[in-house]
Amino acid sequence: MPTAEQVREVLRSVLDPEYPVSVVDLGLVRGVEVDGAVVRVRLTFTSLGCPCVELIQEDVRRAVLQLEGVEEVVVEQVFEPWSRQHISPEGLRRLREVGVV
Amino acid sequence: MVAPAEQVLLQRIREGRLVEGPEHATERYLEGLKRTLVVSADTELISAPAYLRAARHAPSLNAYVSALGIIQDELGHAHIAYRLLEDLGVDTEALVYERSPEDFKYPYAFDVPLDSWTELVVANAFYDRAGFVLLGDIFRHTSYGPWKRALVKVDREENFHLRHGERWMEILASDPSTKAELQRAVDWMFVMTLEWFGLPDHLKRHTEQIEYGLKGSTNDQLRQQWMSTAVPLCERLGLKVPAHYDPDRGQYVIDCPFPAEFDEASKRWRFEEGPVSWDAVLARWRRRGPANEEFVEQLQRGWRQLRAVA
Repeated sequence: MPTAEQVREVLRSVLDPEYPVSVVDLGLVRGVEVDGAVVRVRLTFTSLGCPCVELIQEDVRRAVLQLEGVEEVVVEQVFEPWSRQHISPEGLRRLREVGVV
Repeated sequence: MVAPAEQVLLQRIREGRLVEGPEHATERYLEGLKRTLVVSADTELISAPAYLRAARHAPSLNAYVSALGIIQDELGHAHIAYRLLEDLGVDTEALVYERSPEDFKYPYAFDVPLDSWTELVVANAFYDRAGFVLLGDIFRHTSYGPWKRALVKVDREENFHLRHGERWMEILASDPSTKAELQRAVDWMFVMTLEWFGLPDHLKRHTEQIEYGLKGSTNDQLRQQWMSTAVPLCERLGLKVPAHYDPDRGQYVIDCPFPAEFDEASKRWRFEEGPVSWDAVLARWRRRGPANEEFVEQLQRGWRQLRAVA
């Protein structure tokens, strides 16, 4: 079984569909829980009308399923408030590079 | 300030130094740059009403929101190009709101209305890919600094449009009941996008555009680049397209009469009539297609109504 930390680590490879920033650095991952072979990821989005909800969920599911011992990934949409304050310093740096923030 | 002579400008471009404004350019360069910017701006702008018309058919709320997100991106991209034109002294309000529909400079493809969700996602996968190829070429090669910097963000966002289109094509291809409709859309839209790249190199010389660093690759090279990702995508999904890779020649070969006459009413290429001349294609482009007036009217209506009451 992976640890929650390992799950977070693999989520660092899941990039936002538009910009080269991971969902972790973007501040979208709001909780990770490992329960045997089932991994639960709580995800928020940058807005209620985020056009990439389905793409991000699919990418998260695919990435976590690659971890050994994981048989099921449950993505829970939490829609907790999100603002640029949730972006990590690394995320801000990469967004600045593509002229977004 | 007196604009520097042609040789000074060309020397600057050859050395890879960017043109930052009229003070570095000649009249001829600026005219060429503006023509290129108008095509780009008009293409992004017209995609909004064209995509919105088809987005009504979205199969779910999430799908609809994705389609609207793409349309919003396209309007942003149009705004960037018009803003660059404004900085060059162009009256963009007149350009957008007072021009006749037939004077807009976007590709004919957008004049053919998209009538279903299937056609919309194929447009995202094919047309946005054409835009991605063309803008990527400009991003890498343009000698105009302000445009180069603005395109960093545009490039990232078009990536999402392509993925959205590919993902939905995968979904539609996986079910026999939707795959037939997908194939019908691919049948007319694949060749429509081939045509998008314009006259073949033996009929069109790009010396000035390439010398000025307004583009880096020729029409045929860009058409090849588009096919190099569009054809494998279709092959992977089990969709038939009239083009294949020829390993001996090291390039893609078109397997249908090209260019051909297009039947606008049935959205079908008249391959049985054989290839037509590029002059015939240019004449069709100049006449514009079925939805040209409707889409431009949609863009200009609000502005006219506001002016009427002001």
